[in-house]
Formats: sequence, structure tokens, C-alpha cells
Amino acid sequence: MRGHGFLLANYVPGKSIIHRAPLALKFLLVFGCGLASFIIVDWRISAAVLAILSGLFLLSGAGLKLWGAIRPLAAVLLVIGLFQWWMLGAPTAARIVLNILVCVVAASLLTATTPVQRLLDGVVRAAAPFKRFGADPERFALTIGIMLRSIPYIAGTFADVRDSARARGLERNPRALVLPVFITSVAFARQTGEALAARGLGEAED
Amino acid sequence: MPAVTFDHVTVAVETDHSPEPKVLLDRIRLELSEQRIGVIGANGSGKSTLLRLVNGLVQPTAGRVMVEGEDTVRAVRKIRRIVGFVFTDPLSQLVMPTGREDVELSLRRTVRNGAERRRQAEAALDRLGLLHLADQSIYELSGGERQLMALAAVLAVDPNVLVLDEPSTLLDLRNRELLRATLAGLEQQVIMSTHDLELALDMDRVLVIEQGQVAFDGDPADAVAAYRSLCLEGAQTRPPR
Repeated sequence: MRGHGFLLANYVPGKSIIHRAPLALKFLLVFGCGLASFIIVDWRISAAVLAILSGLFLLSGAGLKLWGAIRPLAAVLLVIGLFQWWMLGAPTAARIVLNILVCVVAASLLTATTPVQRLLDGVVRAAAPFKRFGADPERFALTIGIMLRSIPYIAGTFADVRDSARARGLERNPRALVLPVFITSVAFARQTGEALAARGLGEAED
Repeated sequence: MPAVTFDHVTVAVETDHSPEPKVLLDRIRLELSEQRIGVIGANGSGKSTLLRLVNGLVQPTAGRVMVEGEDTVRAVRKIRRIVGFVFTDPLSQLVMPTGREDVELSLRRTVRNGAERRRQAEAALDRLGLLHLADQSIYELSGGERQLMALAAVLAVDPNVLVLDEPSTLLDLRNRELLRATLAGLEQQVIMSTHDLELALDMDRVLVIEQGQVAFDGDPADAVAAYRSLCLEGAQTRPPR
């Protein structure tokens, strides 16, 4: 299994100002960027926000990871951009593509400068108020952890399936690409669930 | 040694192509108290089902499985603290991006303090000589390193019984030897299914499972001989295609 199609950057140890920034601030940044992607209507503002985020990324010392985070998206963004350009014109296409990039880079900035366990501890703290409604904060953290692990797995599966389809001359057959990825992803979800159950993870608190 | 007992255990599942349930294990009676127990048998014989019963991943249709006096159905949470389970494919077991994070995940339930959790995770990795690989992506590790990392994540919570489902299947010779040496040094009771007959010979007791029943139970060398003869009989009676 190939697993290097990362969509979010892995943690890069460091002591930069971004690494030392409070976790809540980084969460807010990601949340704000997600929200802004719905609000920003001018592609120039999107470009400026992306430039600032890229600058912060470089400042963190995790610069190379930035390309690693964007690369798996490049083909999809190109398709989206061309389609939107055809449907709605160049400025809208640029805004949509740039806003997606803003979200990915902001999320990568968080994951590249925060150890996963600190991230999970932060999620547990943030989810603590939901405890009074019967929710288990540890499950929130576990969900985030599994999501971080699953994205590269599914991206890697897609790369493997694409190679298999190519080897059989089926690279233009969407069913030969989509169906195996879907089936493998479902199998992966089942295996992950079983592995978590075997380790007693994700069960309700005693 | 903790005792694992199977009391007339049957496991049957519904299938689409037969009105009758398919019997995976049939009235198994066992008491496992040796430190190293091997389980061998053909594909589909019921080995994995037998192992999964010990951790509560599979529930008996009839009968009951007890580990240290606890019923694996009624006390499943306690059972999962007592029994660690290592799967064939470590990639489906390691749920975090790096080994260190995965071991820390195992400890989250029992160790609330982050610094203490990190210390214990490092100690668990160090015990298996994996500390230098702690921060590498699990995708960058070799098959053997991944399998040992999965083992470290399970051993971090110090289970009394360790169940391994064909742990050497995906390993090359070097990694298999590494796993073999690691298993030999463990204090826990080990129950392991394997197709690797050499590994089975390292055990104190070996069960041969054939069509959902215990076809042989005893000395490893005798068990391997019994299994070979079962396989040869099967090969001779099967018509060539």
C-alpha cells in the first residue's frame, strides 16, 4: 500500500513562533479560513490570504511540506478551475480554487506545527462542554486522529488502483478507478473499527 | 499463567447461499494455561475465529470463553484490557500517522497526564528497540518494523495475554526472525496462529484446527507432524484441475 499521498502535512518538530503559538489560536485560524472561504468574494483577497498563510508556513520551517500538502490536490483543482472558468468566468474560478487552497494550507499549518497528541488533547478540551450531553470528548479526539490517518491511506489506495487500472489498460474506465477505491475504503473502515475495538479504544468511559 | 478456557464453544454464521448456518467452530473445549500456545491449520479452518473469541471480537453462538475467570461477552471491556490483539496486517491496526502517536493513543485511556504518557510511550518503544523510528510515518517503515510497532502499541498497556493472528505472514526472513526473538522475550502468555511451522515449533503447546474442530492438541513437533499428514491427505483426495 502506498501511503504518501498526504493531503495534510505531518508534524515537523520545531521551535518557530508558529509552533509555540497557542493551540486555540491555530484552531481559530483554521476555523476562520474555513468561514472566510464562504465569505470572500474577491479572488485578490483570497490570493492575499493564501500568500500570508504560505508565508507563515515558510516561517514555521515546514516549507517543503507545503508542496506535499498541495500536490495531491493539483489535478482536482485544475479540473475544478477549468470547469468553473467555463461556467462562471475566470475571477470566480480563481476565487474558488484559491479558497480551497486557503483551507488546505491553514489546516496543514495546524498539523505541521502541532504534535498529534497535543492536537487531540486540544480537541478533548474543546469538546469537554459536550460531556454534559452524554458525549465522550475522547471519541472526538479519536475521530480526528483517525481522519488524519485515513486521508493518506485513501489517497494511497487511489494511487494503487490507478496503477492497476493502467496496467490493465483501463485507465479511462471510471468504474475501474472508483469502485475499487470505494470497496477498499469500506474494508479499511471495517478493519480500523475492529482494530479499535480490539484495543478497547472508542468505548464509552467507565 | 492466566488461563483461557473454552467451554463447549460453537460459532456459527448465517450465509446467503445456505439456509443452514455455517459452523466455524464446533463445540470447542480447551483450557490454555501454557505460556506459548500455537494454533495451526489450513486457511478457513477456524484459527482466526478461535483467536478472536479470546479478545471478544467474536462472540460464541453457544458456550462461553473465559479469560482469568472473566466472561469475554459479559466483561468485554475488562477483557480488552487483559487481552492484547495483534492483527496480520499492521497497517489496519496502526491508526495514527506515526508509531509514537499510536503508542500514545493506546495509553490515552489509562494515562491522563500528557508528559507521563509520552514517557511511557517512549519506554514501550525503547523496550522493542523502536525509539529511533518513533516519529517516522508508518508508511515509511518496513513490514517488520510496522509489525513490531503494532506490537509495541499493544504491549504499552501491559496486557496479561497477547493474541497474535498470523503475525509473520507479511514478513521477510529477517523481520520474521526479529519478531520471533521479540516474542521469545515476552513475559505475557502468547497465543498465536501461524502458517509458519518453524515458528510453531517454538511454542509450548500447539493446537491443530481442522474444519472448526481441534484435530490435534499437544507437543509442537507432534502437532506439526499431524498437520502435515492432514494436509497431505487433503492434497491426495482433492481431484486435479
